Order: sequence, then C-alpha cells, then structure tokens
Amino acid sequence: MTAIVRARGVVKRWGSTVALGGVDAEIQPGVTGLLGANGAGKTTLLGLILGLHRQDEGTLEVLGLDPTTAGPEVRARLGYAPEHDALPGDVRAHDLVRHMVEIHGLPAKEAVGRASDALWHVGLGEERFRPVGTMSTGQKQRVKLASALAHDPALLLLDEPTNGLDPMQRDSMLELIRRIGTDFGISVILSSHLLEEVERVCDGVLILSAGTVVTSGTLDELRGSGGALVVEPDDRLDDLVAALAQKGFEVEVIGTRLVVTGDDIAVADAVRDASIALGIGLRRMQRRTATLEDVFLAGTGS
Amino acid sequence: MSNAQIYEQGYRRYDGPRLPLRSSITSLAIHSMRRGLGLRRTFWAKLLPIATVVIAYVPAAVFVGIAALIPDEITDEVDAIPDYADYFGNISAAIILFVAIVGPEVLCSDRRNGMLGMYLASPLTRETYLLAKVLGVLPVLLLVTLGPELLLLVGRSLVDAGPESVGDFLLVLLRVLASGIAMSAIYTAISLAAASLTDRRAFASAGVILLILMSGGVTAALVEEADLDRNLYLLNIGFLPIELVYRVFGEPGGEPSLSTASVALASLAWTLASGALVVWRYRKLTIAR
Repeated sequence: MTAIVRARGVVKRWGSTVALGGVDAEIQPGVTGLLGANGAGKTTLLGLILGLHRQDEGTLEVLGLDPTTAGPEVRARLGYAPEHDALPGDVRAHDLVRHMVEIHGLPAKEAVGRASDALWHVGLGEERFRPVGTMSTGQKQRVKLASALAHDPALLLLDEPTNGLDPMQRDSMLELIRRIGTDFGISVILSSHLLEEVERVCDGVLILSAGTVVTSGTLDELRGSGGALVVEPDDRLDDLVAALAQKGFEVEVIGTRLVVTGDDIAVADAVRDASIALGIGLRRMQRRTATLEDVFLAGTGS
Repeated sequence: MSNAQIYEQGYRRYDGPRLPLRSSITSLAIHSMRRGLGLRRTFWAKLLPIATVVIAYVPAAVFVGIAALIPDEITDEVDAIPDYADYFGNISAAIILFVAIVGPEVLCSDRRNGMLGMYLASPLTRETYLLAKVLGVLPVLLLVTLGPELLLLVGRSLVDAGPESVGDFLLVLLRVLASGIAMSAIYTAISLAAASLTDRRAFASAGVILLILMSGGVTAALVEEADLDRNLYLLNIGFLPIELVYRVFGEPGGEPSLSTASVALASLAWTLASGALVVWRYRKLTIAR
C-alpha cells in the first residue's frame, strides 16, 4: 500500500521553539488519528502537509508530491477543516461551500450540485440556505466539514473536529468521519487530543509528544504490541510459572491466567515447551491487547 | 400500488477536470467584489457601499441634466458644469469613504473570521490570494473612479454637450479610462495596505481616512507654514490621485509647480510601496502553527 504521507526527519522550528524535532512517519490510506496533547506539534504537522510552512530539515511527501514545491497541486487534492471558527457569519452555508469548491478548481455548475450534496451528507440539507452565523456550533463544524469534503479530496485533514460539540453531536460527527473513510473512500487524518474518539473511528494512529513521534501504526498492531502473552493452562499453574521463570521470563499471575512478558515468539515457544514438558493443556494463549491509552501512556512515558 | 422508491444518494466521486489556478483566482476575486459591495449579504452590509456609490453618481446625473435642459451659453457663462478632471472635486468625500469601506471589508474579514486559513489550504498561495484580492477591489473602486466620469461623458455626448468630434470623444474617453484606472490602482493599494495592518475593519477604515486627511494636513503645514519644499505635496495621498487626474487631462492641476513626471512617479511609488507592505505582511503571517 502506498503511503499518503511520508515524513523523514522532519524538523520545524518556530524561533527558538522546536515544534517538530525529527518526525519520521508513514501514514497509510484510511482514517488515521494524529494524537497528542496540546502543543505536541499536531497542527504544525498539518500545516506542513498543506505546504503552508517549509520544514527546516527533512523531507515530506504528500500524495507522492513535495508540498513545499508543489503546494497548489497538493492542496487541490486536500480538504482541510481547521480547528478554530473559520466561517463568515453572514454568508449562507451553500454559498460558502460552493465557493470553496470553485476555489479548488471545479467548474461553477458542478460546484452548485456538489455543495448541496456535501451539505446533505453532513446532515445540513434542510439548513443549507441559512447564514452560517445563525447556526449552532455543531452545525458550523459540519459546514466546515462540508467545505473540506465537497470538492472530493483524496485526503481530508480534520483539526479537532469535535471541539465544542455536545456528546450527541460528537457521536454523530465521529460516525460521519468514519463513513467518509469507509463509505466515501476518502483518506482522513483526524487530529485530536482525545484517545477515545481516535480509538472509535481510526484505522491507524500517529502519536506525537513534544514534537516527536512516539509510536505509529494500525490500531490492531498497537493494541497487540503489549509485549506479552496471556496464557491460561488447564492445571498446575504454579509449576508453569516456575518453569517460565526459570527460563528468565517475567511472569505475572492474574487469577487463573499468566501474563508472560517478552518477545511474542520467544514466549510462545517457551510456553509450548514448558507445557509439553509438564504434560498440561492450554486453554488460551493470546497476545495481551493494550488499550490506546496504554499505548499512549507507554509512548509518552506518562 | 405506489410507485414510490427510496434512493440512497451515496457519495459521488468527481472525475472531471480541475480547472487551472486562474479559475480559483477569478472565483475569489468575484467573491471579494460581492463582499466589498455587500451583495448576497444582509441589507445593512449593502447599505453603506451602495449608498456611497449612488452619491458618487448623483452629481454626474445632475450635470448631464443641466447640460440637457440649460443652453450652453448660460452654463458656460456661470461655469455650471465642471470639466472631467474637476468632477472628482465634487465626489472626493464619497471616493475616500468608499475606499475606506471596500479594502478593509475584503481583506480584514478573512483574517478575522479565519477564512484565510481555508483559502491558503486550497490551490491558492499567499501571492495568488493577494492577486485575487487586488482583482476583487480594483474593479469595485472603478465604480466611483471611472463610472461617474463615463456617465458624464456619455450623458453630455447624448445631449450634444460633449466632445465635438469622434476623435475628441475618443481622446476624452481614453483620458477618463486612464485616470479612473490609475486612481483606482492607487486607492486599491492604499486601502489594502491599511487593511493588512489590522484584523479589525473599523480600525482599517479609520486608518485609511486618517492617512488621507492627515497626509493633507501635515504636508500643507510643512509647505505653507514652515515654507518647506513644495515637492512635499507628493506625500499628500489625498491630493496626489486627483492631481494625477488633472495631469492625465493635460491640465496644470492644483499645484502647477510639480512636474507631471514627479506626480506620476510619486503615484507609482505610493502604489508599489503600499503593495509591498501588503505582500510583506502576508508573507510574515503564520497559518496553522
């Protein structure tokens, strides 16, 4: 699979502040969460992907192009919904979205239809001729999303799209983002500081902390990368613990299960050999799955 | 049996052509023109710009009416109808007000409401964005720097009070076009420069008016009271565009001691310096940090 974003040693400084300190990352198609605390460098990375700034060091490739030299070509295929309010209050939602479609190079006639379609998709079909200033925060977030989506981008960049939304609006926005990634077939980079929402909608995640990548990969990989196996023997729990400890593995007993820390394959081989030697059966042996919070905390050292 | 059917609209991909950058620039320019005039916005957003434009045309309509109704001998004797270059003296307040409204409305709003970030996340760059804004403001300002003069020329010609031959008509038309475009270019640069310095439209509008009034007051004081060089009038941005119009029409203007070349060069310098200020400000702006 070809990466949609490929960063190699990307450094970006703002004066004496290092916003990104050597980012190496590959973001694959699908919905990817860009996770990190405020100030971790998420928005700066989005700005670099958009070609709004030039990195001080390293190389960056977006959709196979260098955004610093091919900015307009890259941005024509990107949709961007910024974090903060970015909408003129006295303009009708449909006029605004249609205008943004035209700005991205689609013919005027096509823009009218696509603006309507996009507003229907985000649930504002009936409200599309209302001035944006009369809309609720949730509706404004949807107008921003429609503006970013309507020109049919290859990649959608959403910066904290659930900011200011109540729980129901948030659920609905996350469901919509998931649909964009799956049903619409548009890759999404979702910048967020909320683990739960990234876990709900994303296929992959890139975790930033203080301007560096602490971990990245698909959620399945990351959850499975707890570095331990959970083992549940039929019988003789203590003997199995002793046998594994003798081979140098760290073993934790939780009820009738053991958590054996170490390389997956080495642990699996050791458990297999010990169980054969002891003549006991195994009911379960699986990777210990971590929550995204575990991954985040382990990565950021929190 | 009902024929009703339920359609799942689904998402439609776009496989058609994407137009070149100039179409994005044109789209933003047209959007900016509408914004400057308050079109497709509330009544209150339209009120001031449209009223100012109307005010700029009223004297021209009145002068054409006078030319139509009163014999030439009388109008010539009492000097009732101004020359083309003199006309701007009647509407200078409306022009200044319009300039102070349009530039800030077109430029400040995008920074204040965050649309600038959305635009720069499109194929537009900072430079092409500014080009679109210039193309959005300049034609709108032509409504007050060119339109009334055209009305005066065409109206007077229709009532037989205009240029006497086709050649004269074309010469006056050329001068009207040149002076209107030059004046609009200078004021576009000035209003955008003021608008680039603040996100607040009201401050930028006040800045434009203050700059025009104060440059007039200060240069007059320096030249007339302190008896300094009369070339200092070239720093008077209220005076300079109108003086340029006189020179385009081949008239000595309000300050005959200044050469036409110096008036033209000073106008160009004001325009370029203001434009450079806008570009510099926008290159320094940080978006999505």
